[in-house]
Amino acid sequence: MTHAVKFHPGMMLMEQYVEGTLAADVAIAVATHIDLCPHCQQLCQDLHNDKGAQLAELTPAVSNNAAEFADMLSFITSQAPELKAARKTDAESVTVTFNNREFKIPRALSRMAEQHGKWLQLGGIATAKLPAGEKLHVSLLYIDKGTEIPNHTHLGMELTLVLSGRICDENGEYGAGDLLINSPDDTHTPHTRVDEDCLCLSVLSAPLKFNKGLVRLLNPLQQFFY
Amino acid sequence: AEPHIRSGQWEDALTYVAVNADKAAYAELFSYFAPRLKAFGMKMFGNEQQALEMVQDTMLNVWKKASLFDASRGCASTWIFTIARNVRFDMLRKKQSRKDDVSADDLWADGDYPEQEESASDKWETMLMSEKLAPHFDALPPAQRLVMQKVYIEEKSHQEVSDELDIPLGTVKSRIRLALDRLREALDDTRS
Ligand SMILES: [Zn+2]
Ligand SMILES: [Zn+2]
Repeated sequence: MTHAVKFHPGMMLMEQYVEGTLAADVAIAVATHIDLCPHCQQLCQDLHNDKGAQLAELTPAVSNNAAEFADMLSFITSQAPELKAARKTDAESVTVTFNNREFKIPRALSRMAEQHGKWLQLGGIATAKLPAGEKLHVSLLYIDKGTEIPNHTHLGMELTLVLSGRICDENGEYGAGDLLINSPDDTHTPHTRVDEDCLCLSVLSAPLKFNKGLVRLLNPLQQFFY
Repeated sequence: AEPHIRSGQWEDALTYVAVNADKAAYAELFSYFAPRLKAFGMKMFGNEQQALEMVQDTMLNVWKKASLFDASRGCASTWIFTIARNVRFDMLRKKQSRKDDVSADDLWADGDYPEQEESASDKWETMLMSEKLAPHFDALPPAQRLVMQKVYIEEKSHQEVSDELDIPLGTVKSRIRLALDRLREALDDTRS
């Protein structure tokens, strides 16, 4: 299955990601998107290049303390260099298994996916928390074939990155690598197709608010997604 | 005035450091980058002590891990920027004692992504002729706008722009791609 990634993080998110100023919980979704998106891999390299050039073009303050820098220099060169410094070796590829399906996890998410919490299941939907984030809730979200997540409004920001399979909502269809960002007040009803399930990374800053029918009364469902 | 920087100078210096632990080559790199890293740190932390801590950690990594630098993948300044960014990220994380949480290693790959093919340029050219673009062109970051102006309005080659502005050829190409991406984003709503 090849899927051309259509929904990317905007330039502003990409810049903050490269600068390292983006909240870590959001950055992990952006990093995982990049692992899956050749276009953003190039963009990311270009941004690094540009930031590097900006660093080289900075004008240093005139008030710098020369003695301080001289001390720092002699401290550093008194240390032994690592003549064969170890390059970061890419961890063995990690998979997550649920519902008898094995999903390959992109590099950026590997370490965390290995530590996922236990799966909580409700109908065709299951979630497992990832050990990331204090302010935001980061989890894996599995949606079985032909399943609908009831219509909901977002009380905060909702980031959903499709890791495998396909999901649709009122605004379109999303495949592996696509990043959906929903702001507070956006309303939608995501669902899978009858013949394809879906694994996503979900980042939430507040519980979802379910709008219709019985689920509106069922707080547990709200908690389930948070 | 700053001494003129020869293209490839810092990349060569890093190679000498990597191969011979060359202290003279390192001292040159240090005297150029340490004050600039401090200025960068001041912008990011707003605090001199933390800025200096970041400079020392970054430049220590440059000294110790110079053998990891690969000039075929990018400029010395890009490599040094990524080290500084990672050092800063992990410093902030340590301060918040979020030790099991996301680390710089998770977020940023070592840059091992496969090379992309050049984007089909006629697609860009058509887009660049669009009247709707003019206001967005003015909103580009100055460094990107300057490069775009030289290439698309003054019709200079990438190499000419690199020579004229005294920036590496790779930076010229990156800035063009970034500017095109920004312009495309301005006309396009498939980005979140
Ligand atoms: Zn992308
Ligand atoms: Zn939603």
